[in-house]
Amino acid sequence: MTAIAGHTTAPPRMAASSRQRIIPALLLMPCLAWISFFFLLPLALMCWRSFAAKGYSFAAYTVLFTSPLYTKVMLTTVKTASIATVIALILAYPVAYVLTISGGFRRALILTFVFIPYWVDIIVRTFSWLILLGDNGLINKLLMATGIVHTPLELLYNSFSVLIAMVQILLPLTIIILFGAMLRIDRTLIAAAKIHGAGSWQAFRTVFFPLSLPGVYGAGLLVFVLSLGFYVTPALLGSPRQTMIAQTIMVEASELLDWGQASAAGLVLLIITTLIAAIYNRYFSLDRLWGGSDA
Amino acid sequence: MNANADRLILGTAVAAIILYLIFPVIVVLAISFSSGNFLNFPPPGFSLRWYRAIAGDPEWVSAFIVTLKLGGLTALFATLLGVPAAFALVRYIIPAKALLSALILCALVTPPIVTAISTYLFFVPLGLDNSIVGLACAHAVSGMPFVVINTAASLRGTDRNLERAAIIHGAHPLWAVVRVTLPIIAPGIVIGAVLAFVHSAHELLIATFVLGGVGKPVTVKIWSDMQATSDPTIAAASAILIGLAILTLATVVSAQALARRRST
Amino acid sequence: MEQSAVRTSGARVRLRNLSKSYGAVVAVDGLTLDVPAGTFVSLLGPSGSGKTTTLNLIAGFLTPDAGDILIDERSVADVPPHRRNIGMVFQSYSLFPHMTVADNVGFPLRMRAKLSRDESRKRIAEMLALVQLSHLKARYPRQLSGGQQQRVAMARALVSRPRLLLMDEPLGALDKKLREQMQAEIRNIHRSVGTTVVYVTHDQSEALTMSDLVVVMHRARIAQIGTPRALYEAPANAFVADFLGDSNLIPATIVKTAERECAVRIGNRAVIAAPPAPFAAAAGDRAFLFVRPEDMTLQPASSVQPQDRSGLVGTVKELSFHGDVFKLSIAVGDDVLKAKVAREQCGSFEVGRQVVISWTPNAARLLPATSDGASSSESGMR
Repeated sequence: MTAIAGHTTAPPRMAASSRQRIIPALLLMPCLAWISFFFLLPLALMCWRSFAAKGYSFAAYTVLFTSPLYTKVMLTTVKTASIATVIALILAYPVAYVLTISGGFRRALILTFVFIPYWVDIIVRTFSWLILLGDNGLINKLLMATGIVHTPLELLYNSFSVLIAMVQILLPLTIIILFGAMLRIDRTLIAAAKIHGAGSWQAFRTVFFPLSLPGVYGAGLLVFVLSLGFYVTPALLGSPRQTMIAQTIMVEASELLDWGQASAAGLVLLIITTLIAAIYNRYFSLDRLWGGSDA
Repeated sequence: MNANADRLILGTAVAAIILYLIFPVIVVLAISFSSGNFLNFPPPGFSLRWYRAIAGDPEWVSAFIVTLKLGGLTALFATLLGVPAAFALVRYIIPAKALLSALILCALVTPPIVTAISTYLFFVPLGLDNSIVGLACAHAVSGMPFVVINTAASLRGTDRNLERAAIIHGAHPLWAVVRVTLPIIAPGIVIGAVLAFVHSAHELLIATFVLGGVGKPVTVKIWSDMQATSDPTIAAASAILIGLAILTLATVVSAQALARRRST
Repeated sequence: MEQSAVRTSGARVRLRNLSKSYGAVVAVDGLTLDVPAGTFVSLLGPSGSGKTTTLNLIAGFLTPDAGDILIDERSVADVPPHRRNIGMVFQSYSLFPHMTVADNVGFPLRMRAKLSRDESRKRIAEMLALVQLSHLKARYPRQLSGGQQQRVAMARALVSRPRLLLMDEPLGALDKKLREQMQAEIRNIHRSVGTTVVYVTHDQSEALTMSDLVVVMHRARIAQIGTPRALYEAPANAFVADFLGDSNLIPATIVKTAERECAVRIGNRAVIAAPPAPFAAAAGDRAFLFVRPEDMTLQPASSVQPQDRSGLVGTVKELSFHGDVFKLSIAVGDDVLKAKVAREQCGSFEVGRQVVISWTPNAARLLPATSDGASSSESGMR
């Protein structure tokens, strides 16, 4: 009797468990195939190209690591990206905090303002700074009108103009990531700190701030990775001294048509960003975005 | 008293930062309506001449058509690929889910110049350079995460028993997804698709390599014009791009509001 | 008139040796159950006892690892859930938020019964009348109160006249008053439609009030099956005794067994007469002596002559007011017994007073010290 019952249910059970495997595989297949064909395969070919174009040698990499030009550009890139990241974090923190502690209408309003720039092309936002910071730009006009300076300040084509635009471009994302992290902090802890005698500032400093630090580090890593790849902003607002790696790769490829060298530099940049993204993933788990591995 | 002072300082700081965020946007919008010949802010007067200039220039018109086609195709590909992937990631136990997630998201953190070069080198032998469809295929890779993230978020917020309720009352499981789950998560999917569209409309570097010659999309046209001229046409083109994005978003938001009003 | 229109005949449901595990966790372990046609049966148990898993197995959302489910003598192993012709009410109702009340109720008709438009409209109207929501048919679920949503869920589950209705803790989200009202309504609806109902709940009073048959589940197995009254009065083991209502489970040692009566020792003091054990027992075995608190008779020790004291003597430790009754905790040696007395009698029992506790012989039962699915550590006296 039991044996018969077990026998009759065996086929559907097997069908069900294999269905549990086949359906998600079918659902993921197109997406993964697409990524492999249009993203991973091109990257692999680029990697191959970086050797093949120089007669199957490491010549391109030797240039990368020995030429003073590349060393200088890499240093500038890391320096600019780091400074932009730190400033973006400092400016994003209070906005994210206010978003966290306010509710309803005020939160919606601030979020709207934060998202508006996101809908505007990076080229356009950079271009806007070109207009604002010029000799006849609004900033210089204001400074001269108020008598603070008498000749226009050199606001363009230096690291100031590059940074002010980069930070403006990075800010919305930084705010959103920090806000997301802060929302996960249990706010009753702050109430608990206050009940036990901490003032607002003390409660913030001893409870909220330490708890928000992991979110700050996470946002910092992600924003840093993105700033390493900036092209438009340093190209439009910087001088040759502010050249970042993406510009150099662009010149190698589109002007010098040295695809081997461009590929090698691109690969090094890719490896650096992938390493940082992997660190981020290790500690902050990218797949938290869809409910984590437990879902 | 002290707490009030704190709040005031914090409020002022946040207001200043927000001004810094949106001021460049205001500047571009204002200059696009300038009556002057130069990129001055504040503009000397109001006119629509730069918009007329764009409408009368076949190169700009074609650029906008290319961008619309490109963005539309990208959004379509990203949605068709991303929605099923989101279902798999949210609804099923999958081995190596963390690795798969990282794979789907990694296009977002890859420096655009790297993607641009590798895509171009790959496309030339395939004859996909100078192809809008080809570029949309490449854009779909980085547009997909937006669809996956937003669909997954909606899906996670949806009661799984709704689908079960449909099934137990006679709906075929596939039909239950179509009739019950999809209508409920539709706003999430649409937001993801709009973001993928905007991502494609803003992308410069891959587009420069693949469609840099004839048939440039708007971003490439703006970028190459920017090196040569400096009249408010660029601002007007940018403003149209902004308008386009806001229009799409407004459509989405009002559709959502409509859906909500219908159900409250 | 409505009642005759919606009446159907219930299905007989049989579970044979049903098992289901999630990895190493056994959720349902060899469950065998026969639900007669038209019965209202409750699966009652604490969370994790396997009741919801059983329901999902019957619905077909889960596939059993072993065993079979027969609906009207037909195995449904190969029938996917959408073709099992079952109605179901979910814990959070799971009404479709993008459809009106009428569309929600009409959903099963659109899916399975290919009826004419007029016929479906008539059926939907009948169902809405049955749950008294005809006036709200154009509303959306979010515009309804919890009780109204509950009724829409009932109407949707019953509209295609399924012969089996599954309900998964459908009243859990409602407050106490509304819950009691809905219990009565569900009973009435069950009576008028005649369908077989399998009802999952962790609320023992709900199960006792509503069911024809209660299946008490514990640790993936059935602890006992019976009518509510039989379970309450004659629990088969300590777990059931403890889970249903208040009970005293006094650790005892069997001293003597006989055909009509046996004697037990409590602690190392009294030897008390008890009815014969309903299980194989020998002198020297450990057992629980089970008595309901309301079956205890209390007398102030001062009013009873020592030689007349037939029961246990204890000291009142605690006295608490519960509206209709007072509950007392009485220390007897190392044990603490629970008793209930009517409000007007409580004047004579203050904390610290000595009382004599007694009960009629058939109010007490002997239960095995460790029983299948119940352990003394968990279901001892509380």
